[in-house]
Amino acid sequence: MPIDEPISRRDFLRHGAVLSGAALAAGASGLSFLRPPDADAAIMGIGKELRDVLNLETVNRILIEALKRGGDFADLFAEQRFKTTIVLDDQKIDSVTYGFPRGAGVRVFFRKQTGYAFSDEIAYNDLLDAAHVASAVVLNQGTVAPVDVRPRVLTPPFSVMNPVALMSENTKFDIIRRMDAAARSVSPKIVSVRIEYQDEARDTLIGTSDGGYAIDRQYLVSISCSATAVNGSDRRTGRSFLGGRVGEDYFLRRDPEAVAKEAAQQAMTLIGADPAPAGSMPVVIAPGWGGVLIHESFGHALEGDSIRRGTSLLSGLLGQKIGSPRLRVVDDALWPNGRGSYTVDDEGMPGQRTVLVDGGYLQSYILDRQSAFNLNQKSTGNGRRMSYRQWPLPRMTNTYIDRGTDDPASLFSGITKGFYAADLGGGSVDTTSGNFNFAVQLGYLIENGQRTKPVRGAVLIGNSLETMQRIEGIGNDLQVDQTRGMCGKDGQLVPVGVGQPTVRFASITVGGTAI
Amino acid sequence: MPISRPEEVLNQVRTMAERSGAAEAEVYFDFVRFVEVRYREGEVELLQQSAITGLGLRVLRDQKMGFVYTTNLNRTVLDELVVRTVALASQATPRDENRLPDQAFPPQTNLEIEDPYADRITPQDLIALAKALEDNALLVNKVKTTQTARAGYVVGETHFSNTFIPYLTYRNTQFWLYCAAVAMEGGQKRVGSFTDKKRNFQDLTTPDRVGRKAGERAVARLGAKPVPSARVPVIFEAEAAGGFLGGLFGAFSGLNVLEQRSFLAGKKGQAIGSPLLTIVDDAILRRGLGSRPFDGEGSQTRRNVVVDRGVLTRYLHTAATARRDGVNPTGSAWRGYDSLPAVGASNFYIENGSSKPSSMIEQVPNGLFVTGTAGFGFDLAAGDYSQQVEGNWIEKGKLGRPVEGITVAGKISDMLTGIDAVGRDLDFRSQFCSPSIRFKELTVGGG
Repeated sequence: MPIDEPISRRDFLRHGAVLSGAALAAGASGLSFLRPPDADAAIMGIGKELRDVLNLETVNRILIEALKRGGDFADLFAEQRFKTTIVLDDQKIDSVTYGFPRGAGVRVFFRKQTGYAFSDEIAYNDLLDAAHVASAVVLNQGTVAPVDVRPRVLTPPFSVMNPVALMSENTKFDIIRRMDAAARSVSPKIVSVRIEYQDEARDTLIGTSDGGYAIDRQYLVSISCSATAVNGSDRRTGRSFLGGRVGEDYFLRRDPEAVAKEAAQQAMTLIGADPAPAGSMPVVIAPGWGGVLIHESFGHALEGDSIRRGTSLLSGLLGQKIGSPRLRVVDDALWPNGRGSYTVDDEGMPGQRTVLVDGGYLQSYILDRQSAFNLNQKSTGNGRRMSYRQWPLPRMTNTYIDRGTDDPASLFSGITKGFYAADLGGGSVDTTSGNFNFAVQLGYLIENGQRTKPVRGAVLIGNSLETMQRIEGIGNDLQVDQTRGMCGKDGQLVPVGVGQPTVRFASITVGGTAI
Repeated sequence: MPISRPEEVLNQVRTMAERSGAAEAEVYFDFVRFVEVRYREGEVELLQQSAITGLGLRVLRDQKMGFVYTTNLNRTVLDELVVRTVALASQATPRDENRLPDQAFPPQTNLEIEDPYADRITPQDLIALAKALEDNALLVNKVKTTQTARAGYVVGETHFSNTFIPYLTYRNTQFWLYCAAVAMEGGQKRVGSFTDKKRNFQDLTTPDRVGRKAGERAVARLGAKPVPSARVPVIFEAEAAGGFLGGLFGAFSGLNVLEQRSFLAGKKGQAIGSPLLTIVDDAILRRGLGSRPFDGEGSQTRRNVVVDRGVLTRYLHTAATARRDGVNPTGSAWRGYDSLPAVGASNFYIENGSSKPSSMIEQVPNGLFVTGTAGFGFDLAAGDYSQQVEGNWIEKGKLGRPVEGITVAGKISDMLTGIDAVGRDLDFRSQFCSPSIRFKELTVGGG
């Protein structure tokens, strides 16, 4: 059905990579032109090297064709992926899937206008046709400048030894089966466990009309575990996640069995939990994945497309105070092993670390080339796309509230009646009004300065500008989640990291049922 | 790359798989043409013309399953993938229910899901439609700009073959108009959107009306504020009710029920809602957005009543989950070339009731009228609901001030039982539709 249908709500963050069809990977071997020998095995030896077809000369010709009628910028983006998906359900390896999507697209932009065309076949003539179609958006504007692309040398932000994606299938099956057994061992009340494993190796080649030519290879893995506990008529599901742009050594630091048990324990904690409260109250949000809050509340509203259209509530507020003086927000494409990390973005700009908010003042927007061009600024290296079938949009990478100075335990003191969000689900935002929401998977009551009993999930809602003024404390326990963020916008899903330390808000509206 | 003879490609790949050791093989091939114009502030912002091809191969060997998909239909690549997939299958766990549907039913006919106008409409036509959307949105007082105005269509072609069913195919079309308008007043900005989507171009709401509706919705949000927490009657206006219903869909999935991940597990044959509530998943609705002649596994599609006057009558299944549950298939498998068949919605809707939507409001002395919901508020295993909503407060039977920044929550089983009015304003603009519904009492969380 429509691959990219209009969605009325602009964005959502999704647990895990279940529906993704997309999953990127980061600068493992970076710009290395030499592939590790086993990488070829992972690609099964069936993909031709992208650069065999798209050498400097052919890329030049395709870009010249793209700019034949004028335009401010053109790029060629080629991609091939090798994806493995393994699902365990009902104690059985249900299915094993290989995916091999491969293709290339040509984009032309002229001021605010974009032309885009792609081909599922990476062949010179097909891409010349795509360039011709993409150029149609420009109505004979300027003259054609010569294009001369040169390989760009970029340093990967971190290296990944022995990527998980390249492990043998048997090793992957073994991890999944051990996770299943571990989750079930927590209690006989755990009646159902589902493990979804996804990994990917992604090769990209980007040529740009300003002379860039970059080749990259990235790896990503995500594993989700959901465990359901049943007690009489009460039925609760707990979730946990593993993954990132990581190598085999990751499993030494993050034991898959221990993670699987966390899902089962969460389900057991939720069994018999009381309903969540309803109404406005002090709220403390747990570190790590709690960063969904900053992703929704400020992150999306700072993306260059809605900024330049003037439809974001943060349009035109550069340099102004938009949050608590304690607040510092960073978008960091270089975060080690981050789910949203990369060496080079999907339009040939190097990934970078950008301070978005400092001391409560708005320091920078999140920009791709086109939004930067129209705002008369420089791209922040945030041009990302779901696949070769889409054009780039300004997107977040790993976005977090930076470390504060408070002792996390002290953030509960003085709260007579409040809510602690221990684990969150997905969220969404309307960037025009700034009204946002995110689901709480596991919450606790705060009573007289103490975290007390667990309560059922509920949605938390607020308005970006109001909520970010109400920060009362920021812990010194920053964590950035690299296991599960999948961000959707305009029908394009990209993996992201989110993070924060423990953060306390004077008030947020909790959407429970207990008044 | 359009394939001139999809049937041949399908047969070749399937035969290759069978020769390589697959006891059963299934090939699914999609060819999708997608065109959309995005228009804003008097010019075309994006012109997208895409043609997508992809092939998925599922093989079974000793009741173990493997699956591979590719966008690369090069013969050498396909040969290699077939061999790999058959080898891959041997690593899965055998399951008794792993068998492909082996009976070729005649596909459903007369669905009217393809409009030949898709072959004639031009990008210029789409630009004119998108321009009309924006122009009309801007005619509404206080509407200052748009986020986007979009007009587009998609033509899909599906080709299917498995070891027992030689060849099935169908084409379908969808056309849509979408506008998101921005109203401004006193430093406040609010967005309102309206979308219509239809199988046949001539069934679409006019762009004038879609644009104006979007504008009016944006203006209606200006000045919205939270209200204090309360337990009150809540009406979900038809579109919001359709969204609510969409969130419930997963609870009817046979797999979720079998795996205890649905609050509806074990409730078949029992009353789970008000007698006013009938829910249908109809895959053969004439011109329905979710209608199709056969499902993702080649099974015959049908109209499935899942809740009949409050009583849960059936769950929805793929071939495998139906076998596991020991029931007849429901033809509910959905998939693309790049995914395995899974239970999905066709035209999933609440049947019209008898209430006039205006009377439903008049009968409420003090309550909430919900026009929009946002976020992920469904815990289907537990049966809990909590979402961000916006709308209007109802005072003495009349729609009053706009509200936002509030939540609505409840236990889903109590909510369904507590439905005390169902409107007669069902309108099919999406795969998930409902008339307006009124819940006797829900918790509103506010400021």
